[in-house]
Amino acid sequence: MVVGDIATGTEVLVIGAGPGGYVAAIRAAQEGLDTTLVEKDAYGGACLNRGCIPSKALITGSGLAHEAGNAESMGIHADPAVDMGKMVEWKDGVVDRLTGGVEKLCKANGVNLIEGTASFVDEHTARVAHGGEGQGSESIEFEHAIVATGSRPIQIPGFDFAEDHVWSSADALAADSVPDRLGIVGGGYIGMELATTYAKLGADVTVVEMLDDILDPYEDDVKRIVRERAEELGVEFHFGEGASEWSEGADGGYLLHTETEAGEESTYGVDKVLVAVGRQPVTDGLDLENAGIETDDRGFIETDDRTRSAVEHVHAVGDVAGDPMLAHAASKEGIVAAEVIAGEPAALDQQAIPAAVFTDPEIGTVGLTEDEAEAEGFDPVVGEMPFNASGRAMTTGHTEGFVRLVADDETGFVLGAQIVGPEASELIAEAALAIEMGATLEDVAATVHTHPTLAEAVMEAAENARGQAIHTLNR
Amino acid sequence: MTVEEFRLPDVGEGVAEGELVTWLVAPGDRVEEDQPVAEVETDKALVEVPSSYDGVVEELFVEEGEMVPVGDVIISFRVDEDGDAGEATAESDAGATASEAAAGDDEADTTEPDDEADAIEADATETEPATPSGRTFAPPSARRLARELGVDIAAVDGSGPGGRIGEADVRAHAEGGADAGADGPSVGSASDAPDPKPAPTPTDVGSGGRTSAVKKRDAGGADSETGAADAASAASDAPDPAARETTLATPATRKVARELGVDVDDVPTDDTRDGEAFVTGEDVRAYAEALESEAGAVDAPADAPDPKPVDVSGSADAAAAGGTGPSAAEPSAPGAADETVPYRGVRRTIGKQMERSVYTAPHVTHHDTAEVDALVEARAELKPQAEAEDVKLTYMPFVMKAIVAGLKEFPSLNSELREDDEEIVLKGDYNLGIAVATDAGLMVPVVEDVDEKGLFELADEVNDLAARARERELAPAEMKGGTFSITNFGAIGGEYATPIINYPETAILGLGAIEERPVVRDGEVVAAPTLPLSLSIDHRVIDGAEAAAFANTVMEHLEHPLLLLTL
Repeated sequence: MVVGDIATGTEVLVIGAGPGGYVAAIRAAQEGLDTTLVEKDAYGGACLNRGCIPSKALITGSGLAHEAGNAESMGIHADPAVDMGKMVEWKDGVVDRLTGGVEKLCKANGVNLIEGTASFVDEHTARVAHGGEGQGSESIEFEHAIVATGSRPIQIPGFDFAEDHVWSSADALAADSVPDRLGIVGGGYIGMELATTYAKLGADVTVVEMLDDILDPYEDDVKRIVRERAEELGVEFHFGEGASEWSEGADGGYLLHTETEAGEESTYGVDKVLVAVGRQPVTDGLDLENAGIETDDRGFIETDDRTRSAVEHVHAVGDVAGDPMLAHAASKEGIVAAEVIAGEPAALDQQAIPAAVFTDPEIGTVGLTEDEAEAEGFDPVVGEMPFNASGRAMTTGHTEGFVRLVADDETGFVLGAQIVGPEASELIAEAALAIEMGATLEDVAATVHTHPTLAEAVMEAAENARGQAIHTLNR
Repeated sequence: MTVEEFRLPDVGEGVAEGELVTWLVAPGDRVEEDQPVAEVETDKALVEVPSSYDGVVEELFVEEGEMVPVGDVIISFRVDEDGDAGEATAESDAGATASEAAAGDDEADTTEPDDEADAIEADATETEPATPSGRTFAPPSARRLARELGVDIAAVDGSGPGGRIGEADVRAHAEGGADAGADGPSVGSASDAPDPKPAPTPTDVGSGGRTSAVKKRDAGGADSETGAADAASAASDAPDPAARETTLATPATRKVARELGVDVDDVPTDDTRDGEAFVTGEDVRAYAEALESEAGAVDAPADAPDPKPVDVSGSADAAAAGGTGPSAAEPSAPGAADETVPYRGVRRTIGKQMERSVYTAPHVTHHDTAEVDALVEARAELKPQAEAEDVKLTYMPFVMKAIVAGLKEFPSLNSELREDDEEIVLKGDYNLGIAVATDAGLMVPVVEDVDEKGLFELADEVNDLAARARERELAPAEMKGGTFSITNFGAIGGEYATPIINYPETAILGLGAIEERPVVRDGEVVAAPTLPLSLSIDHRVIDGAEAAAFANTVMEHLEHPLLLLTL
């Protein structure tokens, strides 16, 4: 409405309304700080609009369809037809509710919302170009800023997301139909989640990965379970190959060209290519240098344990502040940033940040692996409980995977957990709590767990580490 | 026989705390179930809190005048199951030997012989962290506490299994390493004022820098040849700190302890609950007194600790910088002739409401005067009839009716602005709030559905609400739901005022006194009864012209009361 440049002031300017930014803004407002939140397109950020939430919706939908069509052993015979357009529409409804909720929460907490694109003018001023043509801009003077601009999918040479048949993860979550053949470049967690989803929806999925296995940071036995299950679903893997280019195929589709390090070339027929090789921070257009902030060689803003950048009154949270690029890490950082600005003794002092991969089966991890614990100087003891010994797992029809707890032998403190199997993303929360609270194996083992649940496996793993497991042979 | 604790119950919708105004019982009193034990003043009402037990009052945990959050223990009752109410009281005086012996052991566990002040500064490797990697095992709450107290958590000795660090460990460490005289800062109580007295320092017996209760024996014992012996003997009849690791106590007791600068873990007691030591407010006070008399006995000023007030604000910066001095922003101390009056309860509610209204709604006040000869006559005519029906008829019901006439014509004055939803709600009801001055402050009871009620009915209702407002007997619900308010300042005196809107309503009409004033009629100045009107509006919602037009309609109905029949 206002054309031209008007100046306003705020105590805290938050740039980006993703899970780092909106959480920071709300907490800052709760702390009584005058808070302004600038978002350029969608409240909730990548997480709600193009990441966690939409992917989980499609994973649930595709999983349900697949499950129903593959339950003959339970006496269920069905051949579900999937209306991809409708599924995406349902997903969009979920996203709308959540993003609308974010906006309402911000307002209810007294956060000033501005739609536009922010850039730094100097250390205490930002300019916000309002969304839309001819909407003008305004200068905002701030005492503190929190940069929460997030990340976007990395594009690789030869594969332009502007092409219809080249998908980013965002495109894959907004498709109106299931391609017959889907090539996926990258076997990381995003590639694997979408490989599983599209395989279950009936696509022929081919995954091309430069390394020699999927899901790089995870342990071999974890990877193997997920890879074997994906192969069962019909996903084809080609390791040690990098995508080089695409070309049009004779059949109306496309050819995905790959090359090994030795120079061997291969081609795979596809209808769409999903490039999922990672995410990069979004700092372009921010003019960080005007505020005196430099990014590291990967483009991230370096921060300390109180989320402060080199310029102390400018904080950075979430993906733009580097690993771990996880929504819940961003939210924690956002809260710490707001509390630090409010003068509270907050710090990023968590023992561990859990992570989940929503493949089939799911992976949940937190804290240290056995090797990492050893490297840190602990004398680790490990306990496991395979889901094929869990009554509840059997009744779900999914018995692949295990719960593994890593603890310090001398003191019994739980140091880490790796869970692969049904509901691993949920089960990991208990291990995270144990680690954060400084619980010992005995504490976990002695906590009564509900029967029959998958969570009993966590208790059993703790007992196993103590040589006292009831339902498995003790190591 | 059991002792039952009684918590401040939820005393009204949305009320989170109340001021305990008066205790109606004292320890030792026998009470029956449902008998009122205290008067509690919440935001807008004074309520009596009934007991839920038959029994004898054991202890009061809250002082009169204290603000109590809903759910805090305020009183305990000795509830007799087998009829015997008197026996248990004597036991508590029995010797504290057992707990003292235990305390000795605890000290050995939790005390480090080396000077901990050094340990804090020392490299973490010297303090032998619990694990080879230098990682400390402590829950988030303890880690946060450490930051609040400016303690390096890696230097804290954990007393839990495997050396796990609990909040008590962090506190013990902070006390051990802190400046002499600084008692354990209490945490999470930013609202408490800093203790004006220097905290009692029972343990400072000349060894310098050692303040923690836990430290005492080491200080006296290890340094006995360095002249601490006389100090130790002087302190010999001082109470021994019990130095437990955990102690059960009610929040009120803990507050007393904080205020007196006493660690509840040090307060001797024989009382237990569920196997844990239980400390009452009395125990704390007794212990604090004993400490103070001891502090007097030892020549305190000679090696008096830094008289820095204890920083209880929990500010990390202050703690980190070691600066605990009073902040520059502190309000000036009241002079000798000044009296301080608490700003809470009804007073604070009124204040907040006024502040909110004035800072939210841009007020404009429109003034005018109605010539009310006909109204005065009409009331005089109706008065005998009213008296016959035992109704005290004032002008208020006429004014209320006239306002309804105006509101029907100009609905924007009977509205609420919902900014977040970007909408103005035009109310369908005509519920008029009537401001009533009471001893406790301004109350605004609401008369509902004024449009549907007759003059006498309104008169009755207003009188009843006003009377009960003055008696503080209004229920919170009776002060809600207003759509427009009236303030009759003329009842006390005055012609015009600038009333503050009863937010989120958007208008309020102030009434001056009806008196004979000079008016001009047919070119002559004559005396006639007039009613000065002051109408404040929320200018975001209502334009000035609209306000004036509304006032005209109201005046027309007041000047020609027969029009009220047309409603």
